[in-house]
Amino acid sequence: MNRFRTVRAELRKLTSTRMPLAFLTVLVVIGVGTAIAVAFGTDMDGSKTFISTGAEQQSLMAFAANALVIAGLFGAIAVAREYSHGTVVLTFLTTPRRSHAVLAQLAAIFVAGSLLGLVGAAVSAGSVAVGLTATDYGFMVPAAGLLQVLAASTLAGGAGAVLGAGVGSFVRNTGGAVTGTFLLLVIMPPLAVQAVGGAASWVPTTLANVLSGVDSAVGVGAAIAAIAVWALVPAAMGLVGVARRDVV
Amino acid sequence: MQHLSDHETGPTARSYPISIEHVTKTYGGAPAVSDLSFVAEPGRVTGFLGPNGAGKSTTMKILLGLASPTSGRATIGGVRYDELPDPTGTVGASVESDAFHPGRSGRNHLRILADATGTPLERVDEVLELVDLGAAANRHAGAYSLGMKQRLGLAAALLCDPPVLVLDEPGNGLDPQGIRTLRNLLRSRAAAGNTVFVSSHLLGEVEQLADDVVVVNQGRLVTHGALADLRQSASLVRAASPEALRIALEAAGGIVESGRPDTLVVRGLSLDEIGERAFCAGIALYELSRHTDSLEDRFFAWTGGADDGPQSTTKEEQ
Repeated sequence: MNRFRTVRAELRKLTSTRMPLAFLTVLVVIGVGTAIAVAFGTDMDGSKTFISTGAEQQSLMAFAANALVIAGLFGAIAVAREYSHGTVVLTFLTTPRRSHAVLAQLAAIFVAGSLLGLVGAAVSAGSVAVGLTATDYGFMVPAAGLLQVLAASTLAGGAGAVLGAGVGSFVRNTGGAVTGTFLLLVIMPPLAVQAVGGAASWVPTTLANVLSGVDSAVGVGAAIAAIAVWALVPAAMGLVGVARRDVV
Repeated sequence: MQHLSDHETGPTARSYPISIEHVTKTYGGAPAVSDLSFVAEPGRVTGFLGPNGAGKSTTMKILLGLASPTSGRATIGGVRYDELPDPTGTVGASVESDAFHPGRSGRNHLRILADATGTPLERVDEVLELVDLGAAANRHAGAYSLGMKQRLGLAAALLCDPPVLVLDEPGNGLDPQGIRTLRNLLRSRAAAGNTVFVSSHLLGEVEQLADDVVVVNQGRLVTHGALADLRQSASLVRAASPEALRIALEAAGGIVESGRPDTLVVRGLSLDEIGERAFCAGIALYELSRHTDSLEDRFFAWTGGADDGPQSTTKEEQ
């Protein structure tokens, strides 16, 4: 019961500022860009091959990789701001067992990140559908494919948010948390692939595309497990850091 | 801030003394608090005084489980904060005057706290009215003045109507009316048997508010006791030969400070003892009376800060 109350308080924290609105605005902007690209964009040869099949369209609306990064930044900012604004003091006063406080925070962040991912995928799919109305092509993604895109983005959003929250609670500084999350999700994976060729299948972008059904580098189960590891390792580091350090 | 109802004087069913027992805290080898021990009793307002960097905030954070002591123990009712069965129902604390998300309203700030503690949301509006923030409840906390932020912090501390209050500099930024209401509120809670522990550098405020004071300097306890005793433990003597009298009184175990040219401030001897020593030494006395220092005078004497008044070693420092 107490833990449910703590999670509810964390959810209210996330929804009582304008930050979610700002992130939703980003999703809408991306959606508008997608719709314009679908409606008016062409391939290098001037054709519209990139929307000519169901698989191509599913690839366009696969939002999971974006959801990882966007929700990651959301989680990083949400948690790091707790420290920069000092509101974490109240969190630890109401829930002195810090592991419980951090787990409640991660649960709420996971829910919020999942919702961001779901909305992002829905906006993306809707944008593709709207953009297609201005072309000679119809909407060819099957219902199962659409569901997979939505589910993948939801899961990726939740995982990304947990990863960002872990970085945020470990770094405890908004700028550092955003930079760290961006490094982990965007900058380091290509470098890791350059260093170790086999790593390409296990970087977040590939795993997110596997979940969305537009890549088959690894199995879906393995992709889910790998994305969980990407999220949980920083979260565990954050948990240990919070439990050990003073609130100053 | 509003007048207090009986309800706002808080619960009295069980008393919770605050006990700091040989607490030491070092940061990178540098001591912030050194072997600090004192007790803040229920039913009294205890003022926690010290210059900036004296270790007041560190001590409060250790008390509230926000920082770990290097050694020693800090308890509330004999129990560490993180072991209290109902921490927020037992202790109301305000330790950061600006611990608010600037883009969140005051009401939502308290609702989050209410959610986490299982407090009915109606109580949020009650405490907002109590601290006179009802009209500004929906404004972003970032737009609040320092005084309004202090009142929001106080509202958060009072939300669960706890028997213990721990407040760090609660009077900062309050206008005179706000300070008076704060004083009345804290005194009424103490009068109802609650424990009130308040740090402050506003000596005038503490002088009017506190029953007991704990003074720290450079992380160490300087003195601790009832404010009235600490202030009235001196006698004022005006004599024909002050230097001769000083020697006689110090020989009798008194602690003597120089005041004005012909005046001594004496501690450790009663008025009768001073009179007898002066008589035996053949020194004429022009005045012999109880001396009540202002808290400011005592504070500077305890902490060795700049002061125009008497400068000497006090009994408490020895």
